[in-house]
Amino acid sequence: MSDPAAPGQHRVPGGRLPLALLAIGLTALVAGGAAGAAAAPDSTRPWVLGVIAVAGAVAVAAFLAVFLRVQRMTTASLSAATETAALRHRAEQRQAYTAHLADSVLPAVAERLRAGARPEDALAGMPVPEDPPLQRLLHSFAYEVSSATGQRLSAQAERDEAARRAQALADGVDDLLANVLPGAFERLRGGASAGTALAKVPRPDDERLAVLTEFVIREYATSERRSAAARTAGTKALSRVQAAAVSMLADLREMQERHGEEVFGDLLRLDHSTSQVGLLTDRLALLMGGRASRAWNKPIVMESILRGAVGRIAAYQRVRMHCASSTAIAGFAAEGVMHLLAELIDNAANFSPPIDEVNVYVEERTAGLVVTIEDSGLRMSDAAMRRAEKAVSGDSTDLAHLQGTRLGLAVVGLLAHKYGISVSYRPSSRGGTGVVVLLPPHLLAQQRAEAPPAAVVPAARAPRQTQAPAAGPALPAAPAGTATPIGTATAAGTAGPTAASVPPDTAGTPAPAAGETTHGLPVRPRGRTLARADRARERAADASAGLPQRKRPARDAGASFGAFHRSRRPENPSE
Amino acid sequence: MIRKPVDIGDPHRLYTVTGGRSRGEEAGLDLVTLIVSECRPTEGMQSEHVRILELCGHPTAVVEIAADLRLPITVVKILLGDLLASGRITARNPRPSAAHGDAPESALLKEVLIGLRNL
Repeated sequence: MSDPAAPGQHRVPGGRLPLALLAIGLTALVAGGAAGAAAAPDSTRPWVLGVIAVAGAVAVAAFLAVFLRVQRMTTASLSAATETAALRHRAEQRQAYTAHLADSVLPAVAERLRAGARPEDALAGMPVPEDPPLQRLLHSFAYEVSSATGQRLSAQAERDEAARRAQALADGVDDLLANVLPGAFERLRGGASAGTALAKVPRPDDERLAVLTEFVIREYATSERRSAAARTAGTKALSRVQAAAVSMLADLREMQERHGEEVFGDLLRLDHSTSQVGLLTDRLALLMGGRASRAWNKPIVMESILRGAVGRIAAYQRVRMHCASSTAIAGFAAEGVMHLLAELIDNAANFSPPIDEVNVYVEERTAGLVVTIEDSGLRMSDAAMRRAEKAVSGDSTDLAHLQGTRLGLAVVGLLAHKYGISVSYRPSSRGGTGVVVLLPPHLLAQQRAEAPPAAVVPAARAPRQTQAPAAGPALPAAPAGTATPIGTATAAGTAGPTAASVPPDTAGTPAPAAGETTHGLPVRPRGRTLARADRARERAADASAGLPQRKRPARDAGASFGAFHRSRRPENPSE
Repeated sequence: MIRKPVDIGDPHRLYTVTGGRSRGEEAGLDLVTLIVSECRPTEGMQSEHVRILELCGHPTAVVEIAADLRLPITVVKILLGDLLASGRITARNPRPSAAHGDAPESALLKEVLIGLRNL
């Protein structure tokens, strides 16, 4: 009974077997009994028959019992088989549905859910499984997928938002670095205030960037203002020193005229010291963006330029000048060229043995005027030469690149940059270092048409001599009367020997007027201001040549002003 | 102090003209010594020397040279000393004419000079 299915198959034939066995047994029993009864003596025959009968009865009973039992077992086995088949069918069905569920229903539901449907809607059209567990499974699947989809979407949205903001921030930073800050710094350097610079800057969208931008711009403006204030204060203070030095030089020059040999040497020494102070103050002033202490309104010949440069350095006696050039430097650049050469010569003198000479050569070339400064000191190392080249190149005109006390070359760089002068270093054939300065043609004074007569006269006077005749016809007496600079003396001063090289009307006039001598020496009253010079001119005109002058035909205002302007130049004091 | 807008004189200082010397080595020059140039100016000479040589084609007094060059007499004496040392000029005092006898005495001339100064 424990295993109904297996024996069931064998019980069915087993039902007939016992009957056959029963018939055979009974036949054998009957036959055996008959044989026994026949064989048995008569006396025992009843007994034998009785035993045989009993045995037969027992056998039948036993057989019946076994038969019934077998019959029952067969029935049970049959029902079990039926049940098994039903169960298998159901199992197959369920398996098929599960497969269907896994293969099509769940994907379809998931698809709908991903498309954004709610779980209820997604399940609506789907076959509902009969099994409650599967139903629950389907439901919980739908809800889980739905919530997972929701989370995924929101996470995606957050990620996109974060990426957008990061991109905007990066763009803002890029814009800040590439456009906003450089533009603002440029304006600040140009002198704009922080407020102006900020107003012209587009405000970044990001609040932190906006704060950062404002902070940076304000800080930069403060530092820019600080440096500008320092520079202004420095140049203002220096300009006073410069003015004092210039006036001291003028006084010294006057004293040199007035006093004799006994103090002359001392005056020259003072003059030299003051000139060196002038170089120092000019150097600082130029570095700070100020102006040189002097400016010239006329071309200055190269010889004077060189002397002016050399006179400003301490070791001027070691400098040997070789200047055969008649070229003059235009007034606007004269002071700059002088300062530049002074710095370079000073450098050369400082870095060569104190007994060796520094040679300065001037050559005229088509590219301009070439000034070569050669010392015979130690050859500069390559690195030092590179540094010097860099300093004088004028590429970095910012004070931030200054190195310690090496200010001179920085000023050279500034001036070279300003006037387009090229300065280059090279090893000198004399063993030291050579500096080649090329003064481009636009710095050289125009040679005027009247210049040729000056070819005979030393170069030095060429430009000025052209001015003096110009002044002569217009206002002949005035310029000659008082102080005229050295060069013009040719035109105004002497009647005799130089008359050939000078227009007659100029030559004739003035020397007597200049000779307002008190002690046998020519005294040149030197007005230091325009007003004084003007008064001096008036006096001279009245005193000496006033009368003839008055008789001259009346001139128009423009001509007289022009004449005054021209005459003022030779008349004013030299220093 | 108001700074002048432009400078009008020469940029070089007197010690660059004399090379730093403040006293001439030639002691024989005085204000009226006559100077005559002996050669033409040559290339590369200092411009003041050139001027002096040109000026002294005719005998010229030291004081005239100084006035012409617009330089202090001390400086001119130093420059003339250079030229004298190199033989480019000769200097002579106007003594000989006094030695003739028909010229007035120098004492008299001095008196006249003083009188003229006092005028």
